[in-house]
Amino acid sequence: MPYYIGDVIRDENKLVARTPERFRDSGIEVLIRTPVERIDMKESAVQLAGGSTIDYDILAIGTGTIPILPGIPGQDLEGVFTLKRLNDAIRIKSYIDMKPVRSAAIIGAGFISMEMCENLRLRGIETTIINMGNLPVTRWDPIFSKRAQEELDRNGVITLTGTKTESITRGNDGRLHLATTAGELAVDLLIIAIGVRPDARLAAEAGIPLGKTGAIQVDFSQKTPLENIYAVGDCCEVFNRVSMRWVHIPLGDIANKQGRVAGRNIGGAPILFPGIVAAQSFRLFDLEMAATGIDEREANQAGFHPVSTIVWGNAIAGAMPGNSPVGIKLIADRSTGKLLGAQAIGEAGAVSRVNTLSCALWAGLGLEEVAYLDLAYAPPFSPSWDPIHLAAQDLLKKL
Amino acid sequence: MGKKLVIIGSGAGGASVAAEAKRRDPNLDIVMIEQGDYVSTAA
Repeated sequence: MPYYIGDVIRDENKLVARTPERFRDSGIEVLIRTPVERIDMKESAVQLAGGSTIDYDILAIGTGTIPILPGIPGQDLEGVFTLKRLNDAIRIKSYIDMKPVRSAAIIGAGFISMEMCENLRLRGIETTIINMGNLPVTRWDPIFSKRAQEELDRNGVITLTGTKTESITRGNDGRLHLATTAGELAVDLLIIAIGVRPDARLAAEAGIPLGKTGAIQVDFSQKTPLENIYAVGDCCEVFNRVSMRWVHIPLGDIANKQGRVAGRNIGGAPILFPGIVAAQSFRLFDLEMAATGIDEREANQAGFHPVSTIVWGNAIAGAMPGNSPVGIKLIADRSTGKLLGAQAIGEAGAVSRVNTLSCALWAGLGLEEVAYLDLAYAPPFSPSWDPIHLAAQDLLKKL
Repeated sequence: MGKKLVIIGSGAGGASVAAEAKRRDPNLDIVMIEQGDYVSTAA
């Protein structure tokens, strides 16, 4: 959706995988603009706003997430947006198209904020990030986050760090005036991107158990602990194969897979969801950033003994024109030598390497194996010793 | 008529349940309920 707002994707219909008409053609009834009031477990029925009910034999819950709001005065003013649904993206884009939006601020510095920055700058909008912390995208090692900050700076994004927004008012000039701990700021558009939480209200009120994360508890069949009730996507938990814990990671690719697994189990072709390794990527201007597995903090929580290294290598053969540096961080368990996580950053070759390392994590490989993995070497694509090999060999020395 | 499947939400998760369940069991009677204006959207 950020790329739609940036006009990289022109047509909003390209973001709709399947229209209501196509669902109806395949015999699936679709009700839009229909909020559900409550789930009546006793009657096995769903009660709609307005009072009518629909009975079910099997219920699947895919209520997604709710954007977290800072809870400050003025957060509901016109021109203040969150980005969750396609509708939000359409409203933001038409706001930019209709008003003269010359400047924008984004509260938050996660990957949605990063993707929005790039696309607002593409539209020639002066962009300010208001970050409560000191570095963006804190899933990554501070060394990589600093590189991301430099990329923001290089592309003319203004960043306020350690800064809290206290209120938003509409000025006489028609602009949004933000009172922050770093002073006042006037912008035409404000996007709040400080995170999301699972929308598990209907489930919780109906007595469907939630996990420790606050998301709906499911098993490997996507079943909740209650008979004939399934949950999928961003509203439910997912099993992390590396930490061996149930986590909440709201990403669309995971939702697709969980949905298909639930659909198969409901449709009589049973299958188990194998879990995730938490692979993730985004682009920030000329930079690729990707991560997979767990970091030191999560590793400690899961009872591992993490050690890590950061190695900078060449994205392609060093002698080739167009070569650029790629940074790889590996995290492993000191007691077993098992790979626990990986992060990468660079103008090229970061995402592909994290995908490779995701397979290694999936298969439970140790550093010894990663250090000699047979990869598809050729000078235009990698050095003969890939940065993956170099990082694994470096980390082996610390075991 | 087969069993009745009700799906709350039509994002990546809910829409995938609908499509896959119908593919595996064409006799299912499926209703997908969405509070917003669009179904089956990409993030």
